[in-house]
Amino acid sequence: MDTSTHPDPQGSLIEDLKRGNSFAYKEAVREYSPGMLAVARFYLDHSSAEEIVQDCWVTVIDAIQKFEGRSGLKTWLHRIVANRCKNKLRSINREVATDFSESLDPELADRFNAKGRWDLPPKLKFHESADTLMENDALSGCLDKHLSALPETQRSALMLYEAHQHKSEDVCNILDINASNLRVLLHRARQKIFLMVETFQETGKC
Amino acid sequence: MLMCRDLADIASDYIDGELTNRQNLSVKMHLMMCKHCRTFIGNLRASTDLLKVHASRQENEELIRKIDERVAEALGARKSESDGCK
Ligand SMILES: [Zn+2]
Repeated sequence: MDTSTHPDPQGSLIEDLKRGNSFAYKEAVREYSPGMLAVARFYLDHSSAEEIVQDCWVTVIDAIQKFEGRSGLKTWLHRIVANRCKNKLRSINREVATDFSESLDPELADRFNAKGRWDLPPKLKFHESADTLMENDALSGCLDKHLSALPETQRSALMLYEAHQHKSEDVCNILDINASNLRVLLHRARQKIFLMVETFQETGKC
Repeated sequence: MLMCRDLADIASDYIDGELTNRQNLSVKMHLMMCKHCRTFIGNLRASTDLLKVHASRQENEELIRKIDERVAEALGARKSESDGCK
């Protein structure tokens, strides 16, 4: 999101939140909840994740008093969510299991010959812009379907990095993974989307 | 010599500018000579953009309404508490 046109929109929002201004809360809830949900979904199923995000907002009302602004508000909120999720996982004795071993998608890996050259190269160029592609409801629906089929860890990393534009360092902190693992998660998820769009463009099917 | 498969392996790092100068240069050299990889990188980048647009359109109206309610309730409780102190 572009905030460069405003001098310091966050500073005044934070002050308003500290004062308990209900309009400021409405604004902040709308702005930051989707990202907080993406964090929570890394750790938990959908309904537990929604619950955690709701609970976090209630604790924010007190916690914000101690917020010193060393990190951005978004990063701070995401860390609160992550910590709460980790506590919850600890209490039910579950861990997030993720495979970081291969960065190439198996389906894509099969498209190279033994020498490492393309055997089945990408046929078409995706010629339309992202905005135009998204006008296509069928494609957008297909994307939804594929995103929800992604392993939760890939999806969360993708959302935090792409949609909520966190720096890699922050994503790693929030999700408790190292930088090279994050690179694998991102690359795996993007390849899946690439394969999906390719199939969609070639066949019109999801 | 960087092969197509190697390039596909590090394509996201290339797109995000996470490669070392040396790696970056070898990707660029490969792309100059290889049409398939140019298409691949272009399409992977387009997929990434698509995701950004898609994700920014995700709606969570129901969740936001619930949070608004709980926040309003908590703020109200807090206010009446501090009023009581006066
Ligand atoms: Zn190539």
